[in-house]
Amino acid sequence: MESNHYDVVVVGAGFSGLLAAAASAQQGDKVALVATGPGSFVLGTGWLKAQDIMDSSAPMELGGAIGLFREMTRIAGYPFVGQIQNTHSLPGILGDFQSVALAPEVLWNATPREGASPLVVGIRGLTCFDENFMVERLNEQVLATNSGCKYTARQISFDRDLGIPVTTVRIAKCFDRDPGFRAELTDALQQVASGFDSILVPGVLGLTSTAQQILELEQQVGCPVCETPTLPPSIPGLRLFHHLERYLHTVGVEIYQGFPVEKLEIYDGLCTELRVASPGHALILHGESVVLAAGQSSVSLLGKACTGHDEQMHPLASTGSVMARNLFVAGPLLQSDAGIKGDAMDILMGYRAGNLAAATAVLQLL
Amino acid sequence: MESTQVVIIGGGATGAGILWDLSLRGIPSVLLEQGDIANGATGRCHGLLHSGGRYVVKDPEAARACAVENRIIKAIAPHCVEDIGGLFIHCAQDDPAFFEQWWRAAEAAGIPSNRLSAEEARALEPNLATNILGAFTSEDAHVDVFRLVLANLEAAVRRGGQFHTYSKVKSIQLDGGRVREVHYCDTRTGEEHDIACEFVINAAGAWAETVAELAGAVLPVVSDKGSLLVLNHRLSNRVINRCRKPSDADILVPAGPVCILGTSSIRVPSPEGLSASPEEINQLLHQGDEMIPGLADTRVLRIFCGARPLYVPPATHASGSREISRSFALFDHETRDGIGGFVSIVGGKLTTYRMMAATACDCVAKKLSVHEECTTDKVLLHPAIDRKAHKRAIHVLPLPVAEKIECRLGPEADQVIKEIALRPELAEIVCECELVTRAELEYVLGNSTLVPTQTIADVGRRTRLGFGPCQGTFCGYKAMLAGFQTHRWTATQAANEFSAYLQERWKGQAMVQRGKQVEQLDLSHELYGMTSPVAADCGELNGK
Repeated sequence: MESNHYDVVVVGAGFSGLLAAAASAQQGDKVALVATGPGSFVLGTGWLKAQDIMDSSAPMELGGAIGLFREMTRIAGYPFVGQIQNTHSLPGILGDFQSVALAPEVLWNATPREGASPLVVGIRGLTCFDENFMVERLNEQVLATNSGCKYTARQISFDRDLGIPVTTVRIAKCFDRDPGFRAELTDALQQVASGFDSILVPGVLGLTSTAQQILELEQQVGCPVCETPTLPPSIPGLRLFHHLERYLHTVGVEIYQGFPVEKLEIYDGLCTELRVASPGHALILHGESVVLAAGQSSVSLLGKACTGHDEQMHPLASTGSVMARNLFVAGPLLQSDAGIKGDAMDILMGYRAGNLAAATAVLQLL
Repeated sequence: MESTQVVIIGGGATGAGILWDLSLRGIPSVLLEQGDIANGATGRCHGLLHSGGRYVVKDPEAARACAVENRIIKAIAPHCVEDIGGLFIHCAQDDPAFFEQWWRAAEAAGIPSNRLSAEEARALEPNLATNILGAFTSEDAHVDVFRLVLANLEAAVRRGGQFHTYSKVKSIQLDGGRVREVHYCDTRTGEEHDIACEFVINAAGAWAETVAELAGAVLPVVSDKGSLLVLNHRLSNRVINRCRKPSDADILVPAGPVCILGTSSIRVPSPEGLSASPEEINQLLHQGDEMIPGLADTRVLRIFCGARPLYVPPATHASGSREISRSFALFDHETRDGIGGFVSIVGGKLTTYRMMAATACDCVAKKLSVHEECTTDKVLLHPAIDRKAHKRAIHVLPLPVAEKIECRLGPEADQVIKEIALRPELAEIVCECELVTRAELEYVLGNSTLVPTQTIADVGRRTRLGFGPCQGTFCGYKAMLAGFQTHRWTATQAANEFSAYLQERWKGQAMVQRGKQVEQLDLSHELYGMTSPVAADCGELNGK
């Protein structure tokens, strides 16, 4: 019983859930995170869009939230670079340019540079990515800028059977687990790299790889190797999730992953327990404070009685009263009131909810 | 100049049916369609093959016609029909007198039906409301409208019929009071063409009035908007009709992996640019929820609106569109307006498209002194795939995938199967909801089919790619790359084509932003939504 008691329990492992857990843990709280899986990371690009961040009406708080996010990635060995105020062009899935504020180096370095000759490398059998399509599109766009940057396409192939069709996950897993595969990939890239100053590959360079491991690959190949996003499942997205989760482990957050929360017990204006649908027996978690950051699942957990939230992120019943004083919602119940959207909003809302939850947990102890 | 005997305007079920009928009678004809196949009401309806039950009380004549045609379509186009049967349910809220009246009317009209108790009905369809009072069975079925139109066109092409999609008729030239020439323009290239002809059949559905005007005739057709919701699951296995005076949201049709709820009925001035209001959507969901509780909370994939081309007989002083008969009318403009060689066929239902085609063709054949009888009720539209080819198919593909491709492509499927046997990587499933293989995608994009494809949406109409929950977010991208790889499009053409396709898909989703589909739409926006110019050191780029 005792071991299932926490200062803060966070439900959901998207950007907001992970940030809420980190923010609470930063305040010295005992934190548990419960989630079915890696949230929306599997679908995302693995970078933070500039449009998501511009025009924030809470720049100080956003600065704090993004600061914590960057700290998390740095400690996990997968640091994000870039600035909130600046934007950076990175090739997107349609061979167009996306405006990005922050990204890990492996994505960040794919920006077009004046006079450069980057090589776009496709992988035979990986049908969700077409290097010729990317090159034709990217060249058309950089041509208009007179930057002298010119992309070229090449394809590499592997002798081993990677399945039909080859998927990004399959390649990423081989990259993580099999040094022989990494050596093959390095060789293949080395062979096509001569005469080019950088290489762009689809996002396949491992689900768990750190910046250091990618740097080692680049040293062996002899030039920068960057990734571009692909159709989901997104490897750079899952990799980011992996590293954020690793950070939470290092700061002592306990993570229950794989099963959904099926019920919130709310009694006398307090959320007293969370029932997790784990197989065999139901796992019961108790939190002084609870953060709901589970996307649409938060909405269904609160049920139809919930009509919105107040400024303290407490969910409101249709009567306008707070459903539970120790419950905080970060997610789709909240309209974007801070002038930002997307992942950046999730980061901010998670950060805010985590801090509010930590403060409430302390108050209740007193 | 191109020349033919008969020009048909409109590539919906009726137009395609007419092309097939004339081709069978050996009359050379060309069909012109302004968009892709089934662009109008045909492609924007329930896909319900009526048993006649819906009209049995109000319009027994239309009901009888539906009942006859229902059986014929099931016989001549079995590959287009999911013969699932239907129920007419008596909801507690509805008038019991109508329920009894329905039973007597069905008997009188000879529409086969069995009476079920509430328990029996719920045993068949467990999702039905617990408070229903009873039900009648019916012979309703789901028909894949795109496949039906394709089947008619393909059959016609095999018999020498011709058609041009994306060909909008600009003018109809008369000479001495007779139709001589049709002038049309390719809406994709802008090229203009003329066809000399002896006869024009106007089967343009909701656009029939506009087409008639080109020849100087006036037609009493009104456009009546119906909005339909696509729900993520099959909530029933049969067509569920609400047994009451026809009204909004009283038909639910299971269609492949999804089901379709509809419809509203709102008079609109034009069949173009239709959209649905939030009140209309809520009303549909609320009404549907009375038949199947919980329906209002299911995931809604999209909404689409079609314009029924209703024919208003001169004597009608109908207050609402539901009062106007769903039967059809043939206008011989020679006797009516003194325009020789011009007939219009208006009104009607998808279910009676073949009968409408036969009526129009009988009239035209008589005028052309062709004595061949109509045989479209007897000739199978789609030759069955032979056993050897089927064996080859299940050797290289799982059975459900093989069956789907055989249904969609018929005998042409064999060429695709042979490609897969040679290159097993082509067995990759690119659309997981509708089990479309890469080989089939490439085949359809390569225009080796009898009915050519111009856009990704066209691919969808031929293969059902993009009709599931992702709404083309993943499979549409793959189709775009395939179009590029097969040299169909340049990279930029492919990207533009994909973007146009997505805009259309988003439109139908954006009108019903509810639950899970909101996340799906967000994802699609996130992946493809915003393109920005290259920043900083590379200067500005045009286009957003």
